Amino acid sequence: MKIEMRNIRKYFGSNDVIKDVSFMLKGGEICALLGENGAGKSTLMNILGGVHQMDSGSIIVDGKEVAFNTPAQSQEAGIAFIHQELNLINDLPIYENMFLGRELKTKRGSLDLERMLQETRRIFTEMNVDLDPTMMVRNLDASYKQIIEICRAMMTNASFIIMDEPTTSLTDQEIERVFKMMKTLREHHVGIIFISHKLNEVMQVCDRYFVLRDGSLVAEGNVNEVNTNDLARFMVGHDVRTEPLNREKKIGREILRVEDLTNSHFFRDISFSIKEGEIVGFTGLLGDGRSELFQSIFGAEKISSGKIYLNGKEVKMTSTKQAIKEGIAYVPRNRKENAIIKDMDIIENASIVTWPAFSQNGTINRQKHKEIFEEQRKALRIKMGELTDSISSLSGGNQQKVILAKWLAAKPKLLILDNPTQGVDVGAKEDIYDIILKLTEENIAIVVLSSEANEIIRICDRAIVMYHGVIQGEVAGEEMNEHSIMRLATGGQLTFTKEG
Amino acid sequence: MKPNLDNDAIKNNQSFFQWFKYKWSSDQLFSIAIALIIMIILQTLVLGFDYDSFGSWFQSWTNNWINILRNNAATAIVALGMTFVIMTGGIDLAVGSTLVVTGALSMMLLDTGTKGFLLAMGITGVPAFAITILVVLLFGYLLGSLIGVTITKGKVPPFIATLGAMMIFRSVTQHFMQGYNPKVPTEFLQIASFKIDNFMIMPIVYWAIIAFILYYVSKRTTFGRQIIAVGSNERAARLSGIHVEKVKLRVYALMGLLVSIAAIIQVSRIGSKDFSNAGRGMEMDAIAAAVVGGTNMMGGRGFILGTVYGMLIIAVMNNLLNLFGVPPFLREAFKGVIVIAAVLLQKKELTS
Repeated sequence: MKIEMRNIRKYFGSNDVIKDVSFMLKGGEICALLGENGAGKSTLMNILGGVHQMDSGSIIVDGKEVAFNTPAQSQEAGIAFIHQELNLINDLPIYENMFLGRELKTKRGSLDLERMLQETRRIFTEMNVDLDPTMMVRNLDASYKQIIEICRAMMTNASFIIMDEPTTSLTDQEIERVFKMMKTLREHHVGIIFISHKLNEVMQVCDRYFVLRDGSLVAEGNVNEVNTNDLARFMVGHDVRTEPLNREKKIGREILRVEDLTNSHFFRDISFSIKEGEIVGFTGLLGDGRSELFQSIFGAEKISSGKIYLNGKEVKMTSTKQAIKEGIAYVPRNRKENAIIKDMDIIENASIVTWPAFSQNGTINRQKHKEIFEEQRKALRIKMGELTDSISSLSGGNQQKVILAKWLAAKPKLLILDNPTQGVDVGAKEDIYDIILKLTEENIAIVVLSSEANEIIRICDRAIVMYHGVIQGEVAGEEMNEHSIMRLATGGQLTFTKEG
Repeated sequence: MKPNLDNDAIKNNQSFFQWFKYKWSSDQLFSIAIALIIMIILQTLVLGFDYDSFGSWFQSWTNNWINILRNNAATAIVALGMTFVIMTGGIDLAVGSTLVVTGALSMMLLDTGTKGFLLAMGITGVPAFAITILVVLLFGYLLGSLIGVTITKGKVPPFIATLGAMMIFRSVTQHFMQGYNPKVPTEFLQIASFKIDNFMIMPIVYWAIIAFILYYVSKRTTFGRQIIAVGSNERAARLSGIHVEKVKLRVYALMGLLVSIAAIIQVSRIGSKDFSNAGRGMEMDAIAAAVVGGTNMMGGRGFILGTVYGMLIIAVMNNLLNLFGVPPFLREAFKGVIVIAAVLLQKKELTS
């Protein structure tokens, strides 16, 4: 069994996201597909999975050229795509999930539960899975859910399985379980494409690797010929523009100190401190817990133990309202879900935080808000129509600036920015960097959470890298480069040998 | 929702048609108001002009309207509170039962018979009325808060919490009031039947005052705008420093308060109460008025003025059905049609 993608090109509008990529996978081989966010990994795999259509190139399965216009056609050719969000129904037992969408029926047309259960048992024995098929999916941990998806793929006689970051939400023990499964599949001559950010895992389980950067294939080879440093370098490339933006630094007294902060689900033993005038970056990969950490400091999530000091005084944060009173501002990630209130207009979205602060007997002082916002609008260069236009009428970048404006109106001492340039075009991105740098002149401490190492390097004074809920390391100055950040973020340690 | 289409047309004010089209698509309340006006015109036509003079026609027309408004005032006040509740993404099914509890309490306090609570303490007349009103309002507020706490602290879904409260309140009232026939002093009835210029319009005045206050609250106050934020995007609201639970709790408490006001109006209007039937179906009428008035059942969008229109549309429709002689059992069906039609119409607007 062999699958080949030849000279694939794909455009989104006038953007070429896949540039002439060729790629081959044989049965019985685990192949890592690596690349930074936006490198084109998902697009390439979506083409193979029939979700997207390529603009030119060919796909050849066992010497025969095929065309995938729908996911169903790709599945028929023996390719199974296991997405990051698993397609399982929590309230059905395992064996019914195994046949979701292609249920076995009796002659009279009712579900043939008995035969579905038997089939599931058979495949579990074959794959060495020790699970009771009658269990509810809800009661399974994330690794078993992943394994069920794999078994489901095997049941459709898939010869190739694409796994999109299967380990991001798993614990180390669970990851072991999935890896064991992958090795069993390899023995069954199944070809696996393993998309992952975690280079250690790639070294551990994969035979070959492919690296995509900006839509091009930049490196490929056998895993046993490289180390994680090599892979990180391939992913980042040498030509990335990362010159740090300079500013005059006026570091003042300490604003925030955190000691041994722990939340049973997301992070543990977190300690750090931030001074006024500083910009500190927090980065890591999906599941590192940085967002939850700062949401806890902001009072939106619970803390199981540890202490938070603001301006030297210990505070117990019980609500976001209290956090605002203490001078904390939090610009969340995923603007649409966490920040935009679509039933309200621009001026209301821009003033919601300060409604209580500027009101008399509960009546909102609209004039005051207008004055404040007009100032912000100039400073932040927000492009918009009327104040009373819907917030949805703005572009992503301008929406983000409005969200920033609502927090600046509260005059915070500590500004937390979670993925501040997510879904924002390049021009607005530079604007936002400018604003962040300027804000430090007003003696605020700024925290930037970002998954883009590039962004952290450009604007931050130092970077704290998290991995699976703990601080893996801190880098600053010369040492703050994409290679070291990537190494820490994938669970590695800093070594003090300089490369290239 | 203000689509930018036809902007030039408005500026040049080219034609009435274009202005109308723009208003229709940009202003939710506009289409509701138009529907109301059409129904009023229809009603006026059906009433006919078969009178001796303009004066007698006008008097008859006005009397008809005062009757409509007065009969619907209590439900209309409840519907205003329901609008806030629905705007937070919740629902209150317990309003009818809360009305019965608070109504029963007021009658026990006021009773001129042997069991009269305040009478036994030697309090009568205006002081008794004042105490009764205060106690009943406080009680309604507390019942509403209780529902609110169940929903916010107990994390019970609003539908379930208020469904339970609906059963409990009515059942307990019926049990304790069985065989008890309190007499409300006739002076107390003045609250609803006091005549201004020979018109019995007090319930309408209360409705108008409350509608005006709530309109202001919804448009201008922190609380009012926070209701929209909570209903539209609860997570974003919380991350903007809004105490989401507190806002919800206050909305249910306000609902309880408004229901107790409605109870006082009803008791003072009728002077007696049928504890098994009073307020039954009131929750549905209130929800219907809010929905016809443009309130989004998913929360976030809602208009106090819209609910007033919605209530009037339903009321005028009932009046029309009456005038047409539609059999009583069929009238409910028309109400159902109106509610569904209103939502269909609004949905079309949102997608265009």
